[in-house]
Amino acid sequence: MNAITARLSSFRRHLDPAVITAFACILLLLFLGSLYSRNFLSPEYLLQQLKVASFLGIIATGMMLVILLGQIDLSLPWVVTVGAMMSSAAAGFGHTGAMLAIPFGIFCGVLIGLVNGFGVAYLRIPSMIITLATNAVAQGLMVVYTGGFSPQDSASPTMRYLATGFIIPSIPNSVLCWIIVGAAAVFLMNRTGFGRSIYGIGNRERAAYLSGINTRRIVLTVFGISGGLAAFGGVLLAGYASKAAQSMGDAYLLPAIAAVVLGGTSILGGRGSYLGTVAGVLLITLLQSILSVMQMPEFGRQIIYGLVIIMMLLLYGRESLSR
Amino acid sequence: MVSQKKFCGAILVYNGDGAALVEIKPILRMAGVSKRYGGVRALEKADLEVRPGRIHAILGENGAGKSTLIKIMAGVVAPDHGKMLLDDTEVSFSSPAAANKAGIVCIFQELSLIPDLSVADNIVISDPPTRLGLIDRKQQRKIAEQALARAGAEDIHPLSLVKDLPLSRRQMVEIAKALARKPRILILDEATSALTVADVTKIFGVLKRLRNEGLALLYISHRMHEIAELADECTVFRNGHKVETYKAGNKTDTQVVELMIGREYKNVFPPKAERKTLENAPVLQTKGLTWTDRLKDISLTARAGEIVGLGGLDGQGQRELLLALFGVLRRCSGDILINGKKVIINSPVAAKADRIGMALVPEDRKTEGLMLPMTVRDNLSFAALRRITNSGIVNRAKEQKLIDEMIALLAIKTASADIPVGSLSGGNQQKVVIAKWLMNQPRIILLNDPTRGIDVGTKQELYVLLRKLAYDGAAILFYSTDYDELIGCCDRVLVLYDGKIHRELKGAEITEHTLIASALNVETDRVSHP
Repeated sequence: MNAITARLSSFRRHLDPAVITAFACILLLLFLGSLYSRNFLSPEYLLQQLKVASFLGIIATGMMLVILLGQIDLSLPWVVTVGAMMSSAAAGFGHTGAMLAIPFGIFCGVLIGLVNGFGVAYLRIPSMIITLATNAVAQGLMVVYTGGFSPQDSASPTMRYLATGFIIPSIPNSVLCWIIVGAAAVFLMNRTGFGRSIYGIGNRERAAYLSGINTRRIVLTVFGISGGLAAFGGVLLAGYASKAAQSMGDAYLLPAIAAVVLGGTSILGGRGSYLGTVAGVLLITLLQSILSVMQMPEFGRQIIYGLVIIMMLLLYGRESLSR
Repeated sequence: MVSQKKFCGAILVYNGDGAALVEIKPILRMAGVSKRYGGVRALEKADLEVRPGRIHAILGENGAGKSTLIKIMAGVVAPDHGKMLLDDTEVSFSSPAAANKAGIVCIFQELSLIPDLSVADNIVISDPPTRLGLIDRKQQRKIAEQALARAGAEDIHPLSLVKDLPLSRRQMVEIAKALARKPRILILDEATSALTVADVTKIFGVLKRLRNEGLALLYISHRMHEIAELADECTVFRNGHKVETYKAGNKTDTQVVELMIGREYKNVFPPKAERKTLENAPVLQTKGLTWTDRLKDISLTARAGEIVGLGGLDGQGQRELLLALFGVLRRCSGDILINGKKVIINSPVAAKADRIGMALVPEDRKTEGLMLPMTVRDNLSFAALRRITNSGIVNRAKEQKLIDEMIALLAIKTASADIPVGSLSGGNQQKVVIAKWLMNQPRIILLNDPTRGIDVGTKQELYVLLRKLAYDGAAILFYSTDYDELIGCCDRVLVLYDGKIHRELKGAEITEHTLIASALNVETDRVSHP
């Protein structure tokens, strides 16, 4: 009994007003959509949205860990592309290549993440600068790579299966991937010393350092994880589109950051829950979908999209002021 | 026979004996002021009268309501009930700027200076003099110079950067900054806690002069002898209530402390270690520890069961010494020996490892010791994560057990382990900092001025705790800016001067006189020792 009340009170404590707001906005969007077309509430449409959301969800998970540290990872667009292109390329090398395609793509992402982490943790370069720089380098490398010769760019069958197939009927595999990544992230954040240290560093790096936490190793690892998850997102995207394309990651940087922040994670680090990020991802995905279904011209979509994000941030910003 | 005469707005009251008992009309009156934070009652129907030309001391433990009272006066928070009368007109301040405009200026415990700006920039920051819309640097410098002179800190150059000044000098800048706003009521909240004895004396001269110029001063401090020397009248708060206002000098220190803590007060310091523990083999030794020009050839020993004090004026290398031992300072030369074996400590991670077992209670609990928005539980666990995790995963049962033990051992007053540590009072926050290290069962405990800004009751508890830890076998290095503590707590005191150990005092040698004399590097041969 006592354990239950303790759980309940801890649940209530974790219930951030931002998370509630985000979920309320999701319901509102669905309601508005259903006024426009009844299809908005059909299981097929919702499942399709969930599938689209899962790519962003996996990518935003890594971004959330970095933001919790009080840092930012702007190398995300081209790390996504690197993940997609490298795994597709590996898939071109016969049977072994196809086997190693996915791990190789993720490995390339982790590598870039580790370079970011090394720059931030050991060389003390602001993350905004170093990740922007590695993004440019990754872009250059990919251009050279595709310019020199014509590489294999279609996804391997495994990649396609992972992105579009069904292991469990009616639940897309990509959603399963998101669930697994999300569960692992929740466990990491709440139940491990590593997760505690992430929150600690985000709150006050100096105090964490003086508590004898190996802050540099943790920052390095988190950037590695972020790179790996971005690349994994790229692998799934390539599988979804059946081929890798340049600049396919460009559309994910702002949504990833926005999803994390809309979910109530402090952009300054140290505070935030994964549930919020889930809400943020769903919210952004739905918003994008509704705007495109309503056949809004591209410029209008961009304007509304940006305005909604600004408005929501204002909403949360006030809250944190009054706290 | 009591007669009254009106004189310049003040009412002079003469009693029957003819001796003038000057009853000055208060500038500021607070009547029935209450304030709650959530469920916590911070202030309950408090009254206070502030008179010009008086130094009014406010006493009370942390959490007694002093800070809330001050914050209300300074316009930082608004009261729930009650009113505030300035010159007999009711006022309420929407912001600190509004209070400043009305002539109420507060110097808070936390320094408010911007490190990367110059002293002059900081002094005029809220209202810089302008010419044609641009800051008039000449005028600014003049204002700064005047303010510094009025604060008795002419030695600070107005164009030097604040970050280059030691803490005690910054405190003087803070006072100058307040004076530049031309206050009628000046509030000093623990403004001397970072100051050295020499500075405090200087500041007292300044404060007394300001009083004689007709300013009303509110003075908050935990240092009893300062209040005895300075105050004209005193008000004691306890648990959000005003207990009593009395004329300074009417009560003994013990009576005052009993008013503050609401119970009898005796034996502040626990008995010291027995002689024979002082012959234990040293746990910690340093040989020729040197770092840039701040630490010069430091060789010391600390034994199990011993509390070794670090004394001297502020900024003579005591803090650097503790940081060097803890592996924070890079490129230190010299040797550190643990249990006689040479070790290399290049980070706090190494310092807290089991084979060394060091703990550091840092200088500033708010930025170095704690993550204020995080829970008591998270904060307590940070230093001992390795102890409560199995292959990286937190063992919640084990964690809970250790946390319960710590909360009980240190009597940390918290509603639960799951509230933000920032909502605790200062004394309890400091207990959390110490407890978080005790979770790791350290053998060597380094303390950097751990009782700064903490109330008497908690201080007393900490002294007892330190002695108990020493008794249980820890070696403790204890830096304090409070001489009474060094005298009362330490078995030996190392007095640092200019980065060197200038003198070692033992047992009965540790007196206020020898401490001050050796801190100032003057001969103490008048007091001869064998």
